[in-house]
Amino acid sequence: MTLALAGAGQRRPQPVWLVAAALVPVALMCLPLVYVALRSWQAGPSGIVAELLRERTLMLLLNTVALALGVTLGACLIGVAVAWCVERSDLPGRRWWRIAASLPLAMPAFVASYAWSSVHVAVQSLPGAIFVLTIVVYPLVFLPVAAALRGSLGKGPWETFVTVVLPQAWPALGAGALLVLTHMMAEFGALSLLRVQTFTTAIFQSYELQFDSASAALQSAVLMALCLPAAWGEMRLRQRLHVARAGRGSARRLPPRPLGRMRLPALAGFALLLTLSLGVPFAMLAWWLAVGTSRGAGIADLGPAIAGSLGLALPGAVIVVALALPLAFAAVRHPGPLSRIADRLPYIVHGLPGLVVALALVFLSIRYARPLYQTAFLLFVAYAMLFLPLAQSALRASIELVPPRLEELARGLGRNPFGAFAAVTAPNIMPGVGAALALMVLEIMRELTATLMLAPIGVTTLATEVWSHGNDGQFAAAAPFAALLVLVSALPVYVFTRRSSELYDLQ
Amino acid sequence: MPHLDRRGFLKAGAWAAGSAALARPAIGGAWAAGETLTLYNGQHEKTTRALIDVFSGATGIRVNVRQGSSSQLANQLIEEGDASPADVFYSEESPPLVALANRSMLATLDDDTLKQVPPIYAAKDRTWVCASLRSRVVAYNKAMVSEGEFPASVLGFAAEAWKDRVAYVPTSGALLEQIMAIELLDGRDAALEWLKGLKAHGRLYPTNGAAMKAVEDGEIATALINNYYWFSIAQEVGDANMKSALFYYGHKDPGALISATAAGVLKSSRKQDLARRFVAFMVSEGGQQAIVDSMAEYPVRPGIESTFALKPFDELDPPAIGPADIGDAADALVLIREAGLA
Repeated sequence: MTLALAGAGQRRPQPVWLVAAALVPVALMCLPLVYVALRSWQAGPSGIVAELLRERTLMLLLNTVALALGVTLGACLIGVAVAWCVERSDLPGRRWWRIAASLPLAMPAFVASYAWSSVHVAVQSLPGAIFVLTIVVYPLVFLPVAAALRGSLGKGPWETFVTVVLPQAWPALGAGALLVLTHMMAEFGALSLLRVQTFTTAIFQSYELQFDSASAALQSAVLMALCLPAAWGEMRLRQRLHVARAGRGSARRLPPRPLGRMRLPALAGFALLLTLSLGVPFAMLAWWLAVGTSRGAGIADLGPAIAGSLGLALPGAVIVVALALPLAFAAVRHPGPLSRIADRLPYIVHGLPGLVVALALVFLSIRYARPLYQTAFLLFVAYAMLFLPLAQSALRASIELVPPRLEELARGLGRNPFGAFAAVTAPNIMPGVGAALALMVLEIMRELTATLMLAPIGVTTLATEVWSHGNDGQFAAAAPFAALLVLVSALPVYVFTRRSSELYDLQ
Repeated sequence: MPHLDRRGFLKAGAWAAGSAALARPAIGGAWAAGETLTLYNGQHEKTTRALIDVFSGATGIRVNVRQGSSSQLANQLIEEGDASPADVFYSEESPPLVALANRSMLATLDDDTLKQVPPIYAAKDRTWVCASLRSRVVAYNKAMVSEGEFPASVLGFAAEAWKDRVAYVPTSGALLEQIMAIELLDGRDAALEWLKGLKAHGRLYPTNGAAMKAVEDGEIATALINNYYWFSIAQEVGDANMKSALFYYGHKDPGALISATAAGVLKSSRKQDLARRFVAFMVSEGGQQAIVDSMAEYPVRPGIESTFALKPFDELDPPAIGPADIGDAADALVLIREAGLA
């Protein structure tokens, strides 16, 4: 095979090892779909129609869509503005702001919501929820867009930004927006605290009030259907706007654009953003500690909770990233209908709340894999179902940067397909792997519902302890666990930010 | 034997992940030698922990706890079926236990255990027993409303006059029980009207704790909750600092309903004797004292004194409705759905 052919043609047959490796996550992702279908069918055809045509379903639909779109739009606006400021302007202290602006990712949405819900009752509303969730999830847009802006060309006034710079960041923006959108479909803790009802909160409510709930399964099916157009649309966007990269060394650093009179307002905006997203929640934790008599209660559980959090998050992250790798690789290197469906499936399942995924695994494992039930292994499978797309998108960015020619060269030198991947591709995508691992650690550490149901018995995590003490009204006892959860999360956020930057700094 | 198997798989899973060293301290502890029980616990953790400390201290039996919301745990138990690892289920409300009993998932308890409590607080088919009692109350912010303004019955809160001044929690098992009580006392239409009124005029909160906190913080004037939520916050910030107080309806009003926590032994448990021993301990003097010392609940066994300043049980004058009358509260769910609240 000649280099020219390899560079031009994408139609190489998929290697067997890749197909086999990609089948594992695909099979796993089908499990919750089967469970939801089985349980929904219990309602019977007429029951399904009756449930879907209820007035309440319309209310839930409107709320869910308004919230998801509102937060996605808000996160895109803030994310792009912040990314432009730290990458393209002469904002003072840009290097510092780049790290600081990604830190809100370390703040679990339920902690931020708890703080904000007590600031004023007006925050407990749909607009309030959109506001609170936007200021904690915008880094999911900011980080990929910042990375794309750093690597792209173009400068100049506003028109150039819109016509040249932004289009180059479209794929990154689309990927980030899709993550935020599907994330919001499955959000529960924050919305419950902010008193907004969506399909996900309704699903939790169904399981609170009901046993063997077919209506909860139906609501889950609707939720996945809502994720479909988003996952499909983002894929179309990516296909149409495939950004050609000429490999390393071609992008040139451009002089930053002066902010001029906007310098002070921009700085004030950054300070405000961090105060709102980090300052307010930390102030609340401090206040709890100051007034609560349960201060210090359960402090002996801190060690086991940290061990539990890390003991689940670290291996969990490795497993999820290992499952995501073949999917991302197949989607980039061997685009075709099958690899596209395999790549998109996890995004649909990503819209499912943790409770549904956990119950699906209870149902299936107890019947067909009983020895695995309530082992750490099964919980890792649940984490994969919940968080795979986050790992996929982090990996995809870095795989796209490795020219296929490199692999072909290795093949030409006598390596087999897997050998070529191991020798050439793997070392080059390490920044992406690092970013994916960090993001997974972050998500797994704050996961609550599936962990409560599926963790080996007796295992506690920082997140389960925050929930438990909060449930008992011991806010001061909960505060150290919540604070530690944020602080421990800051490390993977830092790693994630650094790795995302490295990706493009290498060019 | 199943324990050995699960241990093996646990290790395998941890090994596969390449982090056996990290995972072991947290996971390995649960598998110490000696007799162990597995408890699925929906009751507040601090209460259950206090109970287990006394039980384990006296018997040497270890109790492993899976913590969760009572209904979610009941759903999990139903999905687990015969293969459930659980031996005992301790629920914050009685309906989840009745739901399991209706599915023939609970074993019968010893007569000696059931005899410890008044007959109204034990299942007629002997599958569950209540562990503690709570009163429905109206929590109110003292600066925003006074007791004189309250309607003659809790039914009166579902009215225009209380627009945005009453908090309710439709996901709470205790509210379901209150709906059942209204249906039993005043009929189905009254219960449905009440729910529709609450939906139109009241403010929905996700949890009882959040509703109580909203009253204490002055976000809303009143909340329909259980008595112990007030005591939990009072314990945290000090009685003297409380901006809210409790109003007890009495006169057999549905607003004065007594609800109960309850426990039962899973039929699928392979440790029936141990499990029954634990439930027997829950209603013993020692068990009851541990429960009422940790949480502002009433003992189910006569002759136990709470350390909290509870309104005396004799003065509550609740309606004559017990957990068996409420059952699994399925009727209440139908009403809640009809009212558009679920």
